[in-house]
Amino acid sequence: MTISRLLLGAATLAVTAGAAMAETSDKRIALSNNYAGNSWRQAMLQTFEEVGGQAVSDGVVAAADAYTTSENQATEQAAQIQNMILQGYDAIILNAASPTALNGAVEEACNAGVTVVSFDGIVTAPCAWRIAVDFKAMGREQVDYLADRLPEGGNLLEIRGLAGVFVDDEIHAGIEDGVAAHDKFTIAGSVNGDWAQEVAQKAVAGILPSLPEIVGVVTQGGDGYGAAEAFKAAGRDMPLIVLGNRQDEMAWWAEQRDANGYETMSLSIAPGVASLAFWVAQQILDGQEVPKDLVVPFLKVTQDTLDEALESTPEGSVANTVYTLDDAKAVIAEAK
Amino acid sequence: MKLLHKPWLWSWVAAAAAFALTVTLTGGSGASELAYAALSFGAFAAIVGLGQMLVITLGPGNVDLSIPATMTLAGTLALKTMGSDPGTAWLGLGVAILVGLGTGLANFTLIYLLRLPPIIATLAASLVYQSIAIWSNRGLRIKPPEGLADFATGRFFGISNVALVGLALSVVIWVLLERSVWGRWLLASGQNLRAARLAGIPVEAVRAATYLAVTVFAAIAGYLLASFSGGAALNMGTEYLLMSIAVVVIGGTSIAGGSSNVPGVWGASLFMFLVVSMLNSYGAGAGVRLILTGTIIIGIVIAASTRRATR
Repeated sequence: MTISRLLLGAATLAVTAGAAMAETSDKRIALSNNYAGNSWRQAMLQTFEEVGGQAVSDGVVAAADAYTTSENQATEQAAQIQNMILQGYDAIILNAASPTALNGAVEEACNAGVTVVSFDGIVTAPCAWRIAVDFKAMGREQVDYLADRLPEGGNLLEIRGLAGVFVDDEIHAGIEDGVAAHDKFTIAGSVNGDWAQEVAQKAVAGILPSLPEIVGVVTQGGDGYGAAEAFKAAGRDMPLIVLGNRQDEMAWWAEQRDANGYETMSLSIAPGVASLAFWVAQQILDGQEVPKDLVVPFLKVTQDTLDEALESTPEGSVANTVYTLDDAKAVIAEAK
Repeated sequence: MKLLHKPWLWSWVAAAAAFALTVTLTGGSGASELAYAALSFGAFAAIVGLGQMLVITLGPGNVDLSIPATMTLAGTLALKTMGSDPGTAWLGLGVAILVGLGTGLANFTLIYLLRLPPIIATLAASLVYQSIAIWSNRGLRIKPPEGLADFATGRFFGISNVALVGLALSVVIWVLLERSVWGRWLLASGQNLRAARLAGIPVEAVRAATYLAVTVFAAIAGYLLASFSGGAALNMGTEYLLMSIAVVVIGGTSIAGGSSNVPGVWGASLFMFLVVSMLNSYGAGAGVRLILTGTIIIGIVIAASTRRATR
């Protein structure tokens, strides 16, 4: 059984990737994840399980295990990383609770010879790799899109994420840049939606009565549908809401498009970025030279790709891309 | 001035002030819109707050921290069972209430049989409930049946249906507390557990009923919230952990137990929504908003408790 699987694995390897990959067949990779309590993280874990499981059965790596902390605390995750060092993992891919608080544990891992690749929630420790999203560009692009679609300009409503989190500050800075560049827009109101539909719905419903006419809503993902519900409940004209790739948002968008030709766009970071981190870690273990800072493109859904995206997204989940080894190589080559 | 001595007064004064300040900004327009929104969203906080109020009334150390997880689990399982099929709204409600009874029973078992402090027992149990919610549906948002969604977001004579459900539950709780033997038992247990036991009150039965009531209320709130916002999400209950305790305390219920206050919970729930709306409308950033909210809450609690002390 084992031998036949090995043979099968070797055969698959020979077909798919060529010679370089055999180097990592005895390496073990762990995923350290700080939070599992939303659909994005669930999709991320699922993608990692699929890609990691496939890689293990193909013999590319010896193990790809996922661990999630229960309380989303940096101290808890630091202890988890220390456990992974003791368990002898060769690489840790890390979605971190804090960009700085885990640096001590990450340094320990590096000193023990463990490769650390952080993604989405990155760490600043110099010895770790970072796969980051250009969140600032994500904010900027929303305003650019609105400027394109709404030549008259007008009032915007900004829905921000969780206060005090780095991602929220970055996207917000991008949006401010965008508004500074397109002075026909003013931000008439700003609320914190905490990246959750319910919270966004509540916050928008509360601020709407005091707002003038709103032509566009800029968001951070996970909050667009809640904003739409609040506008609908208040009996207001539906503004142009930039969405964040959630299936319920896209289903609503398709519904509006069929009913009245509603047109918008949707962008977010794909949860499959975990698979990209996995392949990057594999490449590093393989001895490839990989720059420390990599940038992952965000996943954009437009009017033309909406139906396609809806079809491939499970009901209630998030639009996703599974990254392959070749994608990882392309991202690495681009950063060099 | 008997009115000034009512501990619930201050939460209502604060809510009215926040409302007036917001409406002033818009020059009077949007007042009914804001009142409608405050009632709809305040209702969720009020429903979980009523449950938490009963538990806190039981006396020092009694609190239920499993409210967010129970809301999430009830919402998730109810919507999964209904699967967006029309005519399943009552089935979904039944599932939600069963979840509430189940988590309440589990909480009380931990507290009674294992003698765990309620804070530890409910917090630990909530991790299990949250995990079951994750495991059962992996965070996928299933839409509520259309009829139920229309009900949850709809209104009746200009008042949102959710608020009407919340008001009906409040009246039931108020009558139970003020006019029933069970209410007297609850208050007596909260004032002095030992004296209550010696007086022949079945204090453990009272505690059990209370810990079941709080999770059933949380489950109903979770079911309504999931129907209201187009599906259950794994993080839908998060903000109701502190919210449920805040509305009880701001509403003038004694944190030391033994005294409940139903109208105060409503005043505080409306206030918690309106103060955020007010600060958002005035363009306060997140930092300023949190500082001001905290300061105002401290002010109200002080006002309410000094009035009680001089009674």
